[in-house]
Amino acid sequence: MDVDDDDFFTNLDRPGRAANNNTFQERLRRASRDDDGAEIPDAPPFMFEEEEETPLQQLIRHWMNERHSPDILPNEGELLAGLLDHIRSQSETVQLLRTDPSSSEEEHFRIVLVQTEVERVKFIVRSYLRTRLFKIEKFARYIMTNPQVQQQLSESEVEHARRFARLTDQHFYHSVLQSLPETQQTLDDQPPFVPSMVTEPDKGRAVFVLARQDCPPVRLPDGTALDMRKGHISLTPYSVVEQLVARGEAELV
Amino acid sequence: MDNDYFSIDAILAENQKIQCTFKVDIPDMGHLAGGSDRDIKSLTKAPIPIWLAYIMLFSDWADFTIPSPFGTRVRNALKAEPRSVKLSNLVGAGGLWYGFGKMVMDILSEEQANGISEVLTKVHCLHTLCDVVNSWFIQAFKGRLLEVIDQAQHFAALGPAGGGGPSTDTAQSFREGLDGTERELFALAQESAKRMKRWHEGNDKARR
Amino acid sequence: MALPQSLRTSVTPLELELIASEQLVEIVPLITMEKTAFISGAYGPLRPPAKCRIPLWMATNLKLKKKCHIVPPEWLSVDFLLERLTRETSRPEFSKLPFRFAEIAKVVLDVASDDVQNADKIKSLLKDLREARQAKSRDGLQKLDHSELSLPNLCSMEINEIRPFFIQSMGILTQLVREPSAE
Repeated sequence: MDVDDDDFFTNLDRPGRAANNNTFQERLRRASRDDDGAEIPDAPPFMFEEEEETPLQQLIRHWMNERHSPDILPNEGELLAGLLDHIRSQSETVQLLRTDPSSSEEEHFRIVLVQTEVERVKFIVRSYLRTRLFKIEKFARYIMTNPQVQQQLSESEVEHARRFARLTDQHFYHSVLQSLPETQQTLDDQPPFVPSMVTEPDKGRAVFVLARQDCPPVRLPDGTALDMRKGHISLTPYSVVEQLVARGEAELV
Repeated sequence: MDNDYFSIDAILAENQKIQCTFKVDIPDMGHLAGGSDRDIKSLTKAPIPIWLAYIMLFSDWADFTIPSPFGTRVRNALKAEPRSVKLSNLVGAGGLWYGFGKMVMDILSEEQANGISEVLTKVHCLHTLCDVVNSWFIQAFKGRLLEVIDQAQHFAALGPAGGGGPSTDTAQSFREGLDGTERELFALAQESAKRMKRWHEGNDKARR
Repeated sequence: MALPQSLRTSVTPLELELIASEQLVEIVPLITMEKTAFISGAYGPLRPPAKCRIPLWMATNLKLKKKCHIVPPEWLSVDFLLERLTRETSRPEFSKLPFRFAEIAKVVLDVASDDVQNADKIKSLLKDLREARQAKSRDGLQKLDHSELSLPNLCSMEINEIRPFFIQSMGILTQLVREPSAE
């Protein structure tokens, strides 16, 4: 499947753009020069350091949720747009510094580090978008017959689903269906004894879930309730924890 | 056991045949029964692929017999020692014993739900049968699962050259007896263990 | 295809390593650098020999250029791991370890084993720990049903290793258990 990721980058709604005018250098200037950042409290040897999630950490969480969830999750357009702007401004700064012949060796290290990070973030963004693309193609017909699902996608994603569904429909039609009697040419049958022709997400598939906080109880397939405390890890069908993940109370790992 | 319309595995699994007994005469369909007769006469027995059996049973044109892979002999053998039964022999190489069983179960419950079976006692029998079949399927699956995974991980640890393995007769015979579903699990576990091994052993200095 | 087959149901160890490398570690820098704004936050200034906390990926980058020493996390020590191993082998539950310990330990030991005391001993302890915990995952498989399996303190890389066949097995059980009348 030929899909141009860049197409997605440019077509994304980008509400975060105006808000994000702090360039690398401006932020550099504003960054305090004293050593307060270097003060380290006695950190416990464990994770779960109680800090506000940065946009990048949020994206990583949504990326992993998307990878593990059998369903297609709501598009994180705003978050993505903010990070893409950030990537752009960091890259521009790097370009600027690169062309400055007076850059010192110290400056050189900074450039390399900033660029390394930009590549890391780009990798995550791409993988996130590709994961969604894969699901959009797999569930194209389901998405197109389901306006509610469409609301979870960005405009360009819905457009891709539409084009992809049309493409496969046409292919089926030209290669097979046109030779069949008219009553057998449909692609959305729900015949008895066989699964529906429209592939839907299998929300019964199991996922590994990690509670990010104490969660309200959820009902399990066997009828009992599951009460997840913060840090709890379970393997359970996705449908059980769907709401917890959507609300950010739990994440898929 | 994919529940997708376009799943090739599901389509292949439906080619499994079950023994049906026709309840009515069906003209001009003698070829289905494999003989040279022109018509199918009522009470004729013939193996019918599952995909076709659904509609025949549903329309009350035929009854079916519980296929031998799910008969008492197999059931008793599985109960005694789940790992001793060669499921692949029961459903043919690459066959899906669990998938086939699941379909048989579905047919049973379908009949029950639609009240096709005339007598109440028969419905009751079917219900009990479903439950029984259900539970010993699960026992069989769970009784064999650990051995599937253990062997998969063992083989992954051997590396590419290793063919030695626990080539004890029991282990090898167990592997040969895996049905399609178990083979898939075996492959998944083996691939995962290999991937971890590669990661642990790799020392990739050119890091991101 | 938008996503290769191998990535559809799992993530790779390297992807987990990438995520774990966002975590902060302490370094002793060998170069100076002003405080710098990155996408994930502002780090620095680096002023030898003052310690500083930066993301692991950055530490790795500098270490490979011999521009810093990495201070191993507290838990990456013989004492700590020995204590956990004792606990792991004497109790039925998984003992508590940092969620991404396997990834972080691997990266630190790969690039900065000279900064880690008793690196070889630590490697062998990690291996023992891994095996003891694998045996417990195996027990988990026996308890698997179609509904839920609690795996407290199982770690990121361990989850990833068992993921494909645990999910598949649970799927099979779900199909087999499904109430006939619910069809």
